[in-house]
Amino acid sequence: MFKKILIANRGEIALRVINTCRDMGVQTVAVYSDADKKAMHVLAADQAVYIGPSEPSRSYLHMDKIIAAARETGAEAIHPGYGFLAENAEFVEKCEKQGVVFIGPPSNVIRDLGDKITSRKIMLGSGVPVTPGLTSTEADTDIMIKEAEKVGYPILIKATAGGGGKGIRIVRSSGEMAEACSAASREAQNAFGNGKIYLEKFFEKARHIEFQVLADVFGNTIHLLERECSVQRRHQKIIEETPASGMTPELREKMGQAAVTAAKASGYVNAGTVEFLVDESDNFYFLEVNTRLQVEHPVTEMITGVDLVRLQLEIASGNKLTIDQKDIIGRGHAIECRIYAEDPEKDFFPSPGKIEFLKEPTGPGIRNDCGVYSGFEVPVDYDPILSKLIVHAQTRERAIAKMIKALKGYVILGVKTPVAFLIDVLTSNPFVNGDVYTNFIETHFSDWQPDISDADLARIAFVIDGMCGSRKVIKRISTTDEAATPWQTLGNWRQ
Amino acid sequence: MEYRLKIKEEILPVEVETAGEGKIKANIGEAGFDVSYNAISDNRMHLVVNGQGINVYVADKKNGKDIFINGKSYFVQDADLLEQTKTRKKGLDADPTEVTPPMPAVVISVPVAQGDTVTKGQAVVIVSAMKMETTLTAPFDGIVTKVNVAEGDKVMPGDILVDIEKL
Repeated sequence: MFKKILIANRGEIALRVINTCRDMGVQTVAVYSDADKKAMHVLAADQAVYIGPSEPSRSYLHMDKIIAAARETGAEAIHPGYGFLAENAEFVEKCEKQGVVFIGPPSNVIRDLGDKITSRKIMLGSGVPVTPGLTSTEADTDIMIKEAEKVGYPILIKATAGGGGKGIRIVRSSGEMAEACSAASREAQNAFGNGKIYLEKFFEKARHIEFQVLADVFGNTIHLLERECSVQRRHQKIIEETPASGMTPELREKMGQAAVTAAKASGYVNAGTVEFLVDESDNFYFLEVNTRLQVEHPVTEMITGVDLVRLQLEIASGNKLTIDQKDIIGRGHAIECRIYAEDPEKDFFPSPGKIEFLKEPTGPGIRNDCGVYSGFEVPVDYDPILSKLIVHAQTRERAIAKMIKALKGYVILGVKTPVAFLIDVLTSNPFVNGDVYTNFIETHFSDWQPDISDADLARIAFVIDGMCGSRKVIKRISTTDEAATPWQTLGNWRQ
Repeated sequence: MEYRLKIKEEILPVEVETAGEGKIKANIGEAGFDVSYNAISDNRMHLVVNGQGINVYVADKKNGKDIFINGKSYFVQDADLLEQTKTRKKGLDADPTEVTPPMPAVVISVPVAQGDTVTKGQAVVIVSAMKMETTLTAPFDGIVTKVNVAEGDKVMPGDILVDIEKL
């Protein structure tokens, strides 16, 4: 096993990895940019190395600086987390050349699977069903339109690189094609440095179900059951759970087999996720393989009892998988909610700023993978995820109730969050009935407004806070630029 | 005494009288509230409202307070104080219909140039924040009199990115 590893990431995922390293007695090295001098991962690691300005390209995406940091600190391996360099084959190649172990699949596997076209070809060749659409990239709008007519609208324009909902557009008619193609291509160019796009069939009513896989270097490949990730906004998941509602043992068996086949066909090593779309008749189609630890991996950990990060380190250090398929048994139900700094009333727009106050929920079966603290300034430069709240209970019904309770006790002041929105989703009939599809939010919550049933209490609290306000007076004066008058120093108290 | 407190667009009068140490009586419309309170910290209060215990969390914001109760955040403002500040600032406020980003962002592209005629809703600047693109559009029909930014510039809410003269 490694003695020391470097974590080439920030925020909650860097902390997640540090956590397991602590359990295993592995030393950790964090890296950070200007914006992250006071970030939580820097405070938590054994060592931290400054790698440059806030722009990702000059710090967290700067391959040479990160590898140099690993070499300088004597870190034997690099854990990439998700995002940034996690699925960058060039980076993995550089690590391989410099003798630093990359905790993830080999570069050629990342290259093949990271290119959606190549991965579609691999799956077609090994008998894994894929969504109808192109198996080559296309820059010509007219050809795109012809293909779209063949497949039938609506279709999805997708970047061949990357993920995370970037570089994707839904097109419903030929008139929208040109603009959608250029927007998707530009967004992909900015996010992944590659603007190539293709198209595939868009399913209006489908479930997004994925399987966690693990493979060691000896060819042992297993799956760790499914995750249901249909509740998405802006093509990005916001609630994930396992098991999936309506999943039958037969379908699980078939899809699990397909996931293992997909991993084996691509020569997969380490932890990965095979994503499928499932239509209303339980037909499933391969979407893509995410060659990294997923954001939503904790729900799998909760029901299987497996520490995925530990197994990633074991596999990367050349150890054999000590569990096989029959050891993987799901117990109970787990749900994850992603807590972003974003405004659900304004189409989930990012809401950066200072976290004025934070109180994390606790209790039996509650886990919060959190990367921020009270007083932390959420930078504009990175993905606005603050934390992931995960609950585990015996049944889905109890897990939902537990999640609602946890959300009600999750206080984040200073930035907007989707907490109130998530409570409403979890309380809604379609969610409770397990009637979730990828269009769930558009269908049921497109014009969501927060319920303001406690507005009277909030008004009363406002008055009382002013009355108790002497404890804050000094702060108030120091933030006004005009000289304080006696009226201001009195606070909001009036006779 | 009476407060006029605003949540979203709704201003409601709140009548408050003290009822002994750490206790008040409040009336909002028809509803009456007997409240005892206990300040726990700068950001936390414990209230007992008509017999029910409630934890409330508060953060001071510019021109108001963020108040968190049971998973929901309310931005509460004192309407009287707001009006005072408004009167003071009158005349200084710029035209509300301007091209400015909703949050700190980076300019991705400026598809218009000085002298261009634009129609309401036409894309004039594309910015990106937290890896998401937003298109800022012309607030009315007009002529672009000046482009104040270029690709790659960091911009803040309130910055006027493009000057447009109304037609």
